[in-house]
Amino acid sequence: MSLAPSLHRPSSKERQHYARLSAQPPNTIRLRTPNAALSDEAMSNGSLNHTLADGADTMAEEDPRAALFRERYLRTEARLDALLGGRDKLHIDDAPDHGMEPSSEVAPMAHDARPAVTPKKAARTIVEDDYGDDDDADEEDDAHASPLLSKSAPHGIAAAALDTPSLRITSLSSKLGVGRTSTPSTEHPKSSDDVRKKLQQDKKAAEEAAKRSFDTLFYTLESDRDAMLEQQKLDELDRQVETEMSGAPANAPVAGGPVAPQQGTLSTTNLGASSLTLKHLIARIDAQRDKVHASDAQLRNLISEVRKNRSKWASEDRVGQEELYESMEKVLMELKACEHANPFLQRVNKREAPDYTIIIKHPMDIGTMMKKLKQLAYKSKKEFVDDLMLIWSNCLKYNADPLHPLRKKALVMKKETEKLVPLIPEITVRDRAEVEAEERRMRNGDADADGAEDSEDEEPIMASRGRKAPSKGGKGTSNARKALPAGLEGTPGPESKLGMPSLNNAVFNLKSEFLRADSEMEGSINGFSTPPPGTLTPLGPNGIMRTHGSQADLSEADGTGASVSGFTLEGEDADLDDLEYKTWKQVTKKDRAIIAAERNRLFRDDQLQVDEPAILRSRAGMRRWLRHRKEASAEDSAKNSTTAPDGKDGVQATAGVTLAEGMEGEEERQIPDYYDPVCAIPDLDERLAWLEDAEGHVIQQTEAYMRVVPKGQFTAPQSALTKKMEGNMKQMQETRKICAKIGIVKQMQLQSQMYQNQFQKYDPQPFIEADIEPIVVSEEGPVMAPYVCRAAMQRSVAKIFYHAGFEEFQPSALDAITDVAGEFFEKLVASFGVYRETPKVKTDTPLAVQDGAMTNWVPRFSQEESLLHALNVNGVDLETLETYVTEDVDRLGSKLSGMHDRMRSYYAELLRPALDNNAGADGVGAFNDGSEQFVGGDFAEDIGEDFFGFKELGLDREFGLTFSVPLHLLQNRMHSAYARENTNIVATTGVLMEEPTKFEPVTVQNYSGQIALVHDWFLSKLQENNNDTLVEDEDLPPKQRFPKPRLPPTGKITSPRKRPLREQQQMARKKRKLDEDKDDHAGHDHGSGTNGGLAKGLGKPVGKLKLEMPQKENQSVPEPEKDDGSAVGMISPESIPAA
Amino acid sequence: MADKDKLAKYRTEIQQMMFVSGETGEPAADTTTLIESIVQDQVQHMLRECTTLATRRGSRSISTDDLFMLIRHDRAKISRLRHFLQWKDVRRSVKDSDDKGGDAGADVAGGDPDIAAGVVGSGSGPGPEAGKKAKRAKVDLVWEVHSFFNEFPPTMDDVEDEEEEEMNFATLQRLKNADERTKNMTREEYVHWSDCRQASFTYRKGKRFKEWAGFGLITDSKPSDDIIDILGFLTFEIVQTLTEEALKVKAAEDLYKKSTGGEPQNRLKRKRERGLFDPPEEAREPVQTAHVQEAYRRLQRGNNKSRAMLNFTRNVHLSALKLVSPLIPQCSQHAMPNNLNRSSHLAYTGLGSGV
Repeated sequence: MSLAPSLHRPSSKERQHYARLSAQPPNTIRLRTPNAALSDEAMSNGSLNHTLADGADTMAEEDPRAALFRERYLRTEARLDALLGGRDKLHIDDAPDHGMEPSSEVAPMAHDARPAVTPKKAARTIVEDDYGDDDDADEEDDAHASPLLSKSAPHGIAAAALDTPSLRITSLSSKLGVGRTSTPSTEHPKSSDDVRKKLQQDKKAAEEAAKRSFDTLFYTLESDRDAMLEQQKLDELDRQVETEMSGAPANAPVAGGPVAPQQGTLSTTNLGASSLTLKHLIARIDAQRDKVHASDAQLRNLISEVRKNRSKWASEDRVGQEELYESMEKVLMELKACEHANPFLQRVNKREAPDYTIIIKHPMDIGTMMKKLKQLAYKSKKEFVDDLMLIWSNCLKYNADPLHPLRKKALVMKKETEKLVPLIPEITVRDRAEVEAEERRMRNGDADADGAEDSEDEEPIMASRGRKAPSKGGKGTSNARKALPAGLEGTPGPESKLGMPSLNNAVFNLKSEFLRADSEMEGSINGFSTPPPGTLTPLGPNGIMRTHGSQADLSEADGTGASVSGFTLEGEDADLDDLEYKTWKQVTKKDRAIIAAERNRLFRDDQLQVDEPAILRSRAGMRRWLRHRKEASAEDSAKNSTTAPDGKDGVQATAGVTLAEGMEGEEERQIPDYYDPVCAIPDLDERLAWLEDAEGHVIQQTEAYMRVVPKGQFTAPQSALTKKMEGNMKQMQETRKICAKIGIVKQMQLQSQMYQNQFQKYDPQPFIEADIEPIVVSEEGPVMAPYVCRAAMQRSVAKIFYHAGFEEFQPSALDAITDVAGEFFEKLVASFGVYRETPKVKTDTPLAVQDGAMTNWVPRFSQEESLLHALNVNGVDLETLETYVTEDVDRLGSKLSGMHDRMRSYYAELLRPALDNNAGADGVGAFNDGSEQFVGGDFAEDIGEDFFGFKELGLDREFGLTFSVPLHLLQNRMHSAYARENTNIVATTGVLMEEPTKFEPVTVQNYSGQIALVHDWFLSKLQENNNDTLVEDEDLPPKQRFPKPRLPPTGKITSPRKRPLREQQQMARKKRKLDEDKDDHAGHDHGSGTNGGLAKGLGKPVGKLKLEMPQKENQSVPEPEKDDGSAVGMISPESIPAA
Repeated sequence: MADKDKLAKYRTEIQQMMFVSGETGEPAADTTTLIESIVQDQVQHMLRECTTLATRRGSRSISTDDLFMLIRHDRAKISRLRHFLQWKDVRRSVKDSDDKGGDAGADVAGGDPDIAAGVVGSGSGPGPEAGKKAKRAKVDLVWEVHSFFNEFPPTMDDVEDEEEEEMNFATLQRLKNADERTKNMTREEYVHWSDCRQASFTYRKGKRFKEWAGFGLITDSKPSDDIIDILGFLTFEIVQTLTEEALKVKAAEDLYKKSTGGEPQNRLKRKRERGLFDPPEEAREPVQTAHVQEAYRRLQRGNNKSRAMLNFTRNVHLSALKLVSPLIPQCSQHAMPNNLNRSSHLAYTGLGSGV
C-alpha cells in the first residue's frame, strides 16, 4: 500500500496544477512573503530563547534584523510597483528552506520531494484574486509601516530588552498605540506572533494538502485501527488527568491573591478579556460612574458574568495567565496528538524500567504537564518549555543507544516542540496587584506621551485592566480567543469543539484569532476617527471582515504550507511512509479515529451490536458530500480556468446558498467521502434506470449485464510446455501402474496364499484441472477470489511436485511452497511494475500515440526490456528457463519412457516363470505342462464375472491372454516357481524320503476294496458327492483344507478332530456362501486336487502316521505356519462331514 | 615457521595444478599459500555442510550423496563425478575378479570402458556381473528418475548413460583448454605438463589430506575412499577455477595497464602476440595474490537468485560461503539495482542505459 502514493506522484492532475500555477497573478506572492521572513527570524529567536542561549541572542539578532529591514524595504518597493500596475513579480529568496518562493517561474520545475503540496497553492491563490487585493494591501501597509517606524526609533538596547516579559506587543498594538511603539521591542513579539500565525497556517496548508490528495489518491483504511487506539489512549490520558485534577483542590483562584481595593474609573478595573466586546459599555459606565451605585468589585463581577464563554484559564487575579495557558495547552494538545507522542504520554512505569529513577532525576511526561497545567503550576513560558524539553532530553538520556527507536521519536517530538514553542507568548504570570502597581507607575510617567490616546481612555483601560500591562496586541489576541465563540455565534456547540483538541480546531482557533486581530484593528482604527455605530457589535462589520481575514490567512498558509510541512516531515527518516501519506495520516488521524471507533463500537466482537447507536446519515455529512461533488464538477468543467475552488473556498462559494451553511464549520471533517459512505448517494447505475417498453412494462435491464465468468480463468492454459508436462505425468502414472503390478507379483512369490482383497488395485486417475463452476456476475473485470486463486496456484504447485517425481506430498509442504511461490511472483510482478512505470524519457523522434497525437516522451523500457529486467532482478534468466524446459521437461520425458520400457521388461521377466519358459507370446505354451488347471479350471470369464478380480488388477492384459487366469493359480505357479528358484538349496531336505504312493481315490467302483467298517460311510459320502470320486483332504485346494492337526504338548489326542473356534464361527457364514456355488467348487476342487497330485511338489511323508486325521500334503512350501494359514482359509463341503 | 609449514602443505601440488591450469610462471609462495588456504576453507566448508546434511538424514557419517548434493547445480561436474565413480567401481570389481582368478583384468587396464564392461560380463560369470551392475546403479542420484518409482528394474545394457552428453560440453571445453595450453610445448615440456596433471591433494596422501581437511574435527567419521576421491577431484577443480579466474583478472589488468601506459617494459612484452618461434615464456609474471583475491571475490559474488525473495524488503542479504565453481556467464553486464526497495526506486532511472 505504501507504494501507492509515491507511484502516483507524477499524475497528470498535478501537472495540471503546475500549469495553473504559472498563471497566477503576482500579488499572491507578495502577500505571502512577509510572514516567511519574519518567521525565519522568529524561529531562531524562539529556539534561542528557550534553549537559554541568551548570550548568542544578540548576535543572532542583529544580522537577521538588518536583513529583514532591507527586505522589507525591497518588498515595499515591489508592492508599490505592483500597486501601480507593474506585473513583475518580486522574487524573494530569503528563506530557502521554506520554499515559499515557488513563484510562477520556479513552480513548474517543482520540488520533486513534495509535489503534492505545491498544487493546492495554485488553487488557493486564485481566490486571493477575488478578495485579497484592497484590504490586504491596506493591512500590509500598516504592518510594514510599524516596523519601519520602530526601526527609526533609536534603541540600541532593543535586543537586550527582548526577553523582558512584558513586551508582548503585536503589530496591532504597534499600530494602535503608535506612541507606545517607542517601547523598544516591537520586533520580536511581532515576529513571534507571526510565527504562530504561520505555523498555524502551515498546519492548515498541510491539511489542505491532505484534503487535496483525497481527490488523487485512495487511502486504505489500514492505519485506522492504530489511529483509533492512539486516540483512545489520548482520551484515556485526558480522563486520567481530569480525575486526578478533580481530586485536587481547585486552587487556581486562591493563587491569585487579594484584589487590590483600588478605587477609580471602571475602565481601570480589571475586566480582563472582556475588553473589546464590552468596550463601549465600559466607556459608558465610566463616563457616568457616579450614577452607578456599585463598587468596583461588584461591577467587575457583574461584567465578568455578562461576559460569556470566557476561557477556563481566565483569572481575574493572575495577569497573563489566560493567554499563556491557552497557548500552552494548545501546544500540549498538538504534541499529544503527534504521531510519535505515544511513549511520552504517561509517566515511565517503574516496572518497565526499574533503573529509570536512578538515571533520570526529574521525570516528566505530557500527562504530568497536563496536570501541572491544570494546577496552574506554570508561571512562565520558560518553565513550560523547560518541562517539555525535559521530557525529550530524559528520553535521550535514558536511551543512550543511538539506535534506540525511542530516540528517534524523541528527536521528532523535540523538533515538533521547537516548532510549536514560538506559539507561546512570552508572558510571565504575575499577580494583578503587582501589575497594577507597575501600571500606575507607568501611567504617571507616560501620561504626557500618551495624551492623545488617553483621551480615548483606550490605553488606560487596557492597562488598568491589568490583563497584560503594556501589550495591547496581546490583549487583542486573547480577546480574539475568548471571543471566538462569540464571534461565531452562528456555529452551535463551540464547547464540543474546545473539547477536541484536534489540529483542525487549533487551526481554526488561531485563524479566527488572526482574523479577530484584523477586525479589532479595523475597529480600533475606526475608533480613532469616528466610531461608527457598526463597531458596537463585533458581529457586524467584523463578520464581513472575517472573510477577508481568513482569505489572507489561507493564502499565506498556501505560500508556506508546502515547504513547512515538507520540512517538518522530511526530517523524520524514522518513518518509512512518504510525505504525502504521513501528512494524510496526521491530518486525518482524529477524524479517522472517531469514525473507526464508531464502527468498532457497532461491530465489536465481530457481531453487530444491537444496542449501539447506528451510524446514520447526517445533515452535515450530506452537505459536505454535496459540496464536494460541486467542487469536483466545477473542477472538471473549469480545467484551465482559474476558478477551481477547493476546501474552504468551496464553503465560501456556497456560503450564501443555505442559512445552515455555517454548520459546516464545526462539522468539517478532514476525510474523504468514502470514509463516510452513509452520507452519500451513490451513482445510479444506468442499468437500474427505469425504462418502460411500449406497453408500459418495466424493462428489466439487469439481465443484460449479467455475464458468465469465462471458462479457463483458473486453469492452466494449454501450451506446449503444459502438454509436455502432462505427458510426463501420464507416463509416470503408467510406469507406476507397472510398478504396482511388479510389487504384486513379488508379493505373490513370497506368499503361499493370497486373499481376495489383499492387493488394492493401483489405478491413478488422470489429472484433470477442474474449472470453477459457472458463475454469473454482473460486474466487469476479473473475478477477485483470493482463495480460488490460491487453490489454483496450489494445484499448479502440486502438479510440479508430481512432475518432479513426488507421488504424494504433505499438505503442509504444498502450502509452504505455494506461499513461497506466491510471494516470489508478487515480487516478480512488483519489479516488473517498477520497471514498466519508470518515468518516460524524451526522444528526438516524436512518436505517434494512439489518438494520433505526437509525443516525444517514450517509455524508458519497452515491455520486453522491463520483463527481462524484472526477471533478472529476481534471479531468473532465460537460459535457466530454457535449461529447465530442455532438461527437466524434455529430457525427463525421454528418461521416463526409457524407464517405462525397463519396467515393462522387468515385469515381463517376473511373470515369465508363471507362464513358463516355453509359453508362447500369447501364452498358449502354458498349456503344455500340466495344463489341467486351464482345462478343468473355472475361469472367471466363463461364468461372466470378474470373480477373482484379475481384471481389476489389470493382470489379464499383461498376460497376453484374452481371458482371465484365476489369480490363485497364477499365484501358485508364481510362488512355486519362485520358491523353486530361490530355495533349491534348502528345500532339498524335502526329498530326503521318497514320496509314498498316492492313495487310490475312492470311487463308487472301488470303495468295496476298503475296510468293510467304512463301506457305509464311504458310500454315503459318495452319494453325497453325486457318485463322483472322493477327494483326499490333502488334495483339496489350499483354502478348503483343514488345519493341520497338531499334537498338543500333553501328547494326548483328546478328540479326533480339533476345530478352532473361529472356524466354527465362520462355518455358518461360509456355508451359506458355499451353498450358492457348490458346483463350482466341486469342479474346482477336483481340478486342483489332481493338479496337486501331479505336482512335482516335494511331498512330506507325514500322512501315514496319523491315520484318523485327514492328511495333508504340502507340495511346495516347507514352512509349516504357511500351511496353517492356508488351511484355515476355507472349508469345503466335503470336508465338513468328513470331520 | 611451524605455522607456515602447516599452512603450506601442498605447495608443489598447487604449483603443478596451476601450471596445468595455464599459469606458466612460477607462482610465489604466498600465492600458493593463499590458494591453499582458500581450498582448505572450501573443503572444510564442504565437510561441514555435508555433516549437516548427513545429520538431517539421520546418519552420523557423511556419504557421497551429501557431496553430490552440495554441487548439484553444476551438472557437468556431477556427471563427471558419476562417470568417475562408476568406472572406479568397475575397476574395483575387475580387480576383485582378477584376484579370483579372472582373466579379464588386463583388458580393463586399457581403459576402454565398454570393452572392459563386456569382458567382465562374459569373463567372470553372473555373480560378479550382478554385483557390478548393482554398484554402477548405485551412483544414481536421488533426484534422478529411478527414484520416482518404488521398484528398481535392473539396468539394461542397451540403456546407455544419457548423462554423457551433459558432460560433453564441459569436457570438450576442458580438453580444448588443455590443448591450447600445450600447443606450443616442446616434448619435454609436455611430459612435464602431463606429470603435473597427476597432481592431487589426495592421491597417495590420504592421511595428510584428512588431517589437512579437518576430518575428525569437523566430521568424526572415517571417510570412505570415494569421499576422499571426490574431494580430491573437487579440490583440483577449485584450484583450476581460481587460477583461470585469476589469470583473467591479470589479463584484464595488463590490458588496462597497457591502455593507460603502464611500465614500458611490461607494455613491450604484451605487445607481441605469442608466435610459434617465441621462446618459452618463463619471463612471464606469475599471478599475484591480489589477482587470486580478486578472482576469489568474483567467484564469491552472489547472484540475484539468492536474493530474489528479499526484493522489496529491507533485509540485508547475508550470503554464506559459496563453493567455487566456474562462473556461468549471466546477463549481468549492465548494472543491476542493488535492491528494489521502494525508497531507492529513483535510482532506477540511472540503470540499464545500455539496453
